[in-house]
Amino acid sequence: MAGGEVKLISLVKKFGEFTAVDGIDLEMPGGEFFSMLGPSGCGKTTTLRMIAGFEQPTEGEILLDGENMAYTPPHRRNVNTVFQSYALFPHMTVWDNVAFGLRRQKTPKHDVRSRVDEALGMVQMDRFAKRKPSQLSGGQQQRVALARALVLKPAVLLLDEPLGALDAKLRKQLQLELKALQQQVGITFIYVTHDQEEALTMSDRIAVMSDGRVEQVAPPQEVYEEPATTFVADFLGVSNLMTATAEGESDGRCLVKVGDFELHAGRGDVATKGETRIVIRPERVRLEPSDATGENFIPGMVERVVYLGNANQVITRLAHGETLQALVQNTGDELHYRQGDPVKVHLPSEALRVLTDTGVAPVDESAAAPVG
Amino acid sequence: MSESAVSAPQSKQSFSLWQRVSGWVVNPWGRPRFLVLITWAYMVWAIVPVIIAVQFSFNDGRSRTVWQGFSTQWYWSNPDSIWNNAELRDALVHSLTLAAWDVLIAVPLGVTLALGLARWRSRGSGGANFLMLFPLVTPEIVMGVSLLLLFTQLPPFTHIHTGGLAQVLGHVTFSISYVVVIVRGRMFSIGREYEEAAADLGASPGVALWKVLLPLLMPAIVASAAIVFAISIDDFVISQWLSSGPSTTTVPMEIYDATRAAPTPATNAIATVMVIVTLTSVVAGFLVWRAFTRGQHGAKQSTMRDFAAFDV
Repeated sequence: MAGGEVKLISLVKKFGEFTAVDGIDLEMPGGEFFSMLGPSGCGKTTTLRMIAGFEQPTEGEILLDGENMAYTPPHRRNVNTVFQSYALFPHMTVWDNVAFGLRRQKTPKHDVRSRVDEALGMVQMDRFAKRKPSQLSGGQQQRVALARALVLKPAVLLLDEPLGALDAKLRKQLQLELKALQQQVGITFIYVTHDQEEALTMSDRIAVMSDGRVEQVAPPQEVYEEPATTFVADFLGVSNLMTATAEGESDGRCLVKVGDFELHAGRGDVATKGETRIVIRPERVRLEPSDATGENFIPGMVERVVYLGNANQVITRLAHGETLQALVQNTGDELHYRQGDPVKVHLPSEALRVLTDTGVAPVDESAAAPVG
Repeated sequence: MSESAVSAPQSKQSFSLWQRVSGWVVNPWGRPRFLVLITWAYMVWAIVPVIIAVQFSFNDGRSRTVWQGFSTQWYWSNPDSIWNNAELRDALVHSLTLAAWDVLIAVPLGVTLALGLARWRSRGSGGANFLMLFPLVTPEIVMGVSLLLLFTQLPPFTHIHTGGLAQVLGHVTFSISYVVVIVRGRMFSIGREYEEAAADLGASPGVALWKVLLPLLMPAIVASAAIVFAISIDDFVISQWLSSGPSTTTVPMEIYDATRAAPTPATNAIATVMVIVTLTSVVAGFLVWRAFTRGQHGAKQSTMRDFAAFDV
């Protein structure tokens, strides 16, 4: 299905002195599930509202299928929104809520009936057609809000943290349903969230944002495994960021010095030199007995072991002072390492990435912790 | 663990009368009895005089302080009763007419003013908001005198002069403030999201207003209409200053005059009629409000409590 391509060109939004969106360039081809991911205040919701038409950009263009709609009022744009608080009209029944947009388009009555029934069936809410929104649960209201937006067959669907108010299990279920729905309907979904797991699960591509700017735009695997900046590395999952001094290429990998130890980083710009940071994901960190030796082995002591159910988080303090987190899958065997045990930490060079530091300070641990 | 740590304490403490009474009144886990006491005391203080006045309107005799038996003479049969006294009848009709006009003019004007003030984002809005509150805080005598001067000294208003029209205009002036305050409060609690959703679904601003915002505001509009009606019926100062003679007297004015002349229980009777009319208007407002919001609130909430708290 053609259409639904959105382009943001040098988009800026200022509220008085405060710059919420500081020059964004994004291209979202038709039919893609595109997420904007970032912490609170990074400008993702403001960008979404500008695409929807509820805010006017200070500068820049918003192109829908080639046409600039930055100055078109929201009721004339062919985009529809699913709000965080659902915004279902409380004085109308579910059926009337879904029919609202169709009636504004002066659709003939029998068409309205068949399309509304079809939309409600698609989200499995046909049994609730006569109820009022206050009689529905959060998840049910969410589905009705979806149906209400999709029944109009927009070119682009905008979703503003739609699953934020739901409990964890329902959220995971709806994430899969949303993804399946998007593939079935085939239109562009632009999804705003601060939950990185959600973005990784559902998106075709993710734009990681911070302070009104886009840090990286890439498919989920690339954003997670090949973070372009310190911020992206730290925001998605645990990054185990360590300061290091890079000394250029050696044997196809980058030679970095961490404290007194020399490591080989196989990922990132291997020719880097100077003050930089290295990252490794906790699930790639290997724990070895304290008498083992090898490349990229650093001695340390187990500071804490956290039981997660499906895995154990082993927090180790390395010899040079920094802390590292390792994720050890729960295989049924008891974990060999306890608090206080000495251990050697192995950072396989093919998993160790050197970042060319962008000067963006990493988000502190508590803020980057996954939500829910 | 030893047994003694688990068994109940053995003390046989006896409480003094004072401790028991104050314990009953000041109970942190139960109902706030102290507050309930005060509330009931206030209710009694406020309502008992009204009940006494109503009671004496059914007095069989001319006294307004000595009970002489039950009779409805002051409503129908006695030559000085409301029914037979043209002055009192006219005053009642005039009061109701004034109140009806007041509602019909002030409520639409007040609603549009509230909509404008809530949506007005530019620099004048602070001043307009402040100005709009003036009629609410100005003492009524001051308003009455200024309105009188307006209608008698300032052209082109001198064409209107004092009388029914002036009374209506005077009532509307201070009623609008009540409407704006009530409706604006409701608008802020509604927020912009429903209108944004309506716009997102293709409704132009006018359609969004008509189909989404006004239905959601209806409870506040109805409540403010009931309030305006009750206030207008009750009004004494403005009506008196702007009246032009016997044809434009209202019931409060008649009651005031009657207490200075030769009061009979007919005064009580007409006051009772006013109480009933006011109560009816508030109850009617509540019933209309409940009909509009059926299904909007959760079934658990008490609609009466919402209405009384102006949580419309």
